Amino acid sequence: MNIPIETTTLSNGLKVVVAPDITAPVVTVGVYYKIGFRLEPQGRSGFAHLFEHMMFQGSAHAPKMQHIKLINSSGGTLNGSTHYDVTNYFESVPSNALERVLWLEADRMRALKVDDENLRNQRDVVKEEVRVNVLNQPYGGFPWLDLPPVAFRNWANAHNFYGDFADLDAASLADVQSFFKTYYAPNNAVLLILGDVKPDEGLALAKKYFGDIPAGAPPPFADPREPEQTEERRGEVEEKFGTLPAMAIGYTAPPRRTSEWYAMTLLDQALHGGRAGRMYRQLVLEKQVAVEVDGGIDDVFGYNGPTQMVTKILHKPEYSSDATLAEFDSVIRDVQQNGISQDELDQLKVKFRSDYYSTLEGGRGGMPRYGLMHLLACFSLFDNEPQLVNSILDGFLTVRREDIQAVAKKYLRNDKRAIVFRRPPNTSAPPQVGAKEAA
Amino acid sequence: MATRAATEISSSVPPLSAERQVTWPKRTKARLANGLEVVLAESHTVPKFHGELFLRSGNAASIQRGPGLAEMTATVLRTGTAKRPSRQIEEDLRRLGADLSSHAGADNSAVAFAGLSELAEPLLQLVNELAREAAFPEPEFERERRQKLEEVKLDRTQPGFLASERLRKVLFGSHPYAQVAPTEQQVASYKRDDLLSIYRDFYTPQNALLLMVGDFDSASMLETVEKVFGGWSGNKPAISPSPEPGKPRGRRVHLVHVPGAVQTQILAGCHAITRKHPDWIKLGLTNSLYGGAFNSRLVMNIREDKGYTYSPRSSVNPLREYGYFSVSAAVRNDVVAASLTEIFYELDKLRALPVPEPELADARNYVSGVFSLGLATQDGLLSQLATVALNDLPDDYLETYREKVRALTPPDLLATARKYFDSANMQIVVVGDRTQIEPQAALFGDLEVYDAQGKHLS
Repeated sequence: MNIPIETTTLSNGLKVVVAPDITAPVVTVGVYYKIGFRLEPQGRSGFAHLFEHMMFQGSAHAPKMQHIKLINSSGGTLNGSTHYDVTNYFESVPSNALERVLWLEADRMRALKVDDENLRNQRDVVKEEVRVNVLNQPYGGFPWLDLPPVAFRNWANAHNFYGDFADLDAASLADVQSFFKTYYAPNNAVLLILGDVKPDEGLALAKKYFGDIPAGAPPPFADPREPEQTEERRGEVEEKFGTLPAMAIGYTAPPRRTSEWYAMTLLDQALHGGRAGRMYRQLVLEKQVAVEVDGGIDDVFGYNGPTQMVTKILHKPEYSSDATLAEFDSVIRDVQQNGISQDELDQLKVKFRSDYYSTLEGGRGGMPRYGLMHLLACFSLFDNEPQLVNSILDGFLTVRREDIQAVAKKYLRNDKRAIVFRRPPNTSAPPQVGAKEAA
Repeated sequence: MATRAATEISSSVPPLSAERQVTWPKRTKARLANGLEVVLAESHTVPKFHGELFLRSGNAASIQRGPGLAEMTATVLRTGTAKRPSRQIEEDLRRLGADLSSHAGADNSAVAFAGLSELAEPLLQLVNELAREAAFPEPEFERERRQKLEEVKLDRTQPGFLASERLRKVLFGSHPYAQVAPTEQQVASYKRDDLLSIYRDFYTPQNALLLMVGDFDSASMLETVEKVFGGWSGNKPAISPSPEPGKPRGRRVHLVHVPGAVQTQILAGCHAITRKHPDWIKLGLTNSLYGGAFNSRLVMNIREDKGYTYSPRSSVNPLREYGYFSVSAAVRNDVVAASLTEIFYELDKLRALPVPEPELADARNYVSGVFSLGLATQDGLLSQLATVALNDLPDDYLETYREKVRALTPPDLLATARKYFDSANMQIVVVGDRTQIEPQAALFGDLEVYDAQGKHLS
């Protein structure tokens, strides 16, 4: 692969990546900060996400509403999102608005200007976001909020990432300014410009708008490592609205960019790759125990700490949790004992390559090049190597059958997994699992 | 009640530079001898292509035989052909690096696919097989029918589904658009023969449109399409006219009771127009200014000013025969009345006062700007081409859309809001716990209460 990329680091430590592409007179700009909800302050669960909302509430020269207004009225769209280890802000606009977008992003990197009323307002908005996505939805937050407290022992990995309402209420303007000062410095960020821009022009504009933002002290990061897991962990969550019993099984995944990670990622595809995947085929199509099965390693290029490969199952009420789990286990056992065939591996590689191209091209709500932006950002912030976008595919295409069987044996072990059962109140729990609720 | 006045923006904001030309790619259009309509466009962003085979009949056309049967037919379609059993189809797709989905909406059925350019022909052959030689194996049908039973039960636990289901019932009455999903009883009575008859009638080249966008040469791709699909035959299905929906008069409230709901889903709507209507572009811009964009009046009011909701939005929903306008927000239970008050305040304001020219200029720029974002990705372009082709819009629709938007004036928007934001006859659906919200909801009109299964409670 040969995606043209120009990179530089400004004197204040801001990394800059420009990826020109003249397909359309459109440019996508992203700013990624290397802080996500994993390492938000203790006692302030949900703060990284609440803070992301605050970044739209006003900066030194663009008061509340103006950021959104200036992007929309330039013919563009914008958003931000909070991940485990990064938080991003991005815009897609006609390319004649590029300077305006850079000016806005630089203005809020330089100085946030928000007040208590903004904070109250966005706290209310975030609570409705949590209600609409989690508390008032069937299977809301399942399993991304249910599994971590069962699977992990380090608060960083185990807490409620959307935030307990008491913690959201406790968040103050001082917390906002301190978080901003600590993590939102240019030396903890990468600026990405993709699309209709000339490389030298993009780099010059980056310097013009961001070059004089002062660097901050290197941010302190809590240690996200987990103590070695030696036993299967189980938890229960009540399902308030849904009709079907559900479960999620998560196994700790290898660190990014290790040879085991490449093999595990293809194993994930063998298990969870749609209707051809082994889980869906056996549980839904053949044994017909389950109604829905999907899963995988979430954001496989974009995590920077402990994570899991998760299988999510909604099963028929006439099958017990035990019977369903037994079917799941037989899929795992089969791949451990027999591995996968060369033909299956070949299929997985073609599909992986095809999916990778799609990731680069699109990936989020019609925002052009979102996926390429995300990969370039994570490879810059975690690996200091944005060119990985051109070479990383090779690591997957050289995985061998024995590598896959080896990671299946090493990582898909009962003492390395966590299981959460999520049951509607009227479906009975099997006797050996207590009726206690984890949340 | 209005949002606070916006602060003046800084004079240091860089101006927009000269606009670069938006050029839509050339479309290659053809009609094969068997009637299949083909539209191809090149987009060389990645070595892949996206395609969709549309059949111009969907759940509305199948409703006499059973609600949701077109969707069920599309679902079972991929589970076997004369040549390949289910498992082989799924593995062959993976072997081709391809994704494929088959589904049906109210007006169309479709097989959507994407794959590697180097493997385009074998993927087209598989699509062709699905369109012509699907076998609907009995055991596969039976499994999918049982799956569907669980899915329709699950649907009724989702506030968004319950709201849109109720609104469509209220707006469309005896017209097939009134039913968005089958009941459990209806699914239970599906027969394999029903699917076979839908398949025979709907999946014909004279009823079909094949769209493809991607990294290929259009001339040679057209030859491949002719080679693969040329032998397909079949006529256009007979269309039986549907009864006209009675347009509901007077503002009424329809409460769907979900015990224990910790939030209320509001969805209000009224009849509007289809994409073919000459006012369509005007209505799109008016909607954008009202609640169709982040920077819209509704979002600024009930989200950014008042914090009632995370996700307010309004939309224009064009079906083939009729269209409707709707506005939705999931709000805190104690601000249902306050939210509805603001929703109607902003609607009535657009009906009463001309939009200030600077605000309109911003909205025009937004609508015309985001329209060209679709150009940058293969599936974005595919969806733009599908809009044009499925609605029989003029060939230059994409090229002239932006200038039409940019020509609109405050009097145009005032007239459009008065005509289509029918606030006096809006039907208001609220999905939530009646013990918490009924008195608030009742302030806005005569109230009917239903349970999640659709049973009338009071």
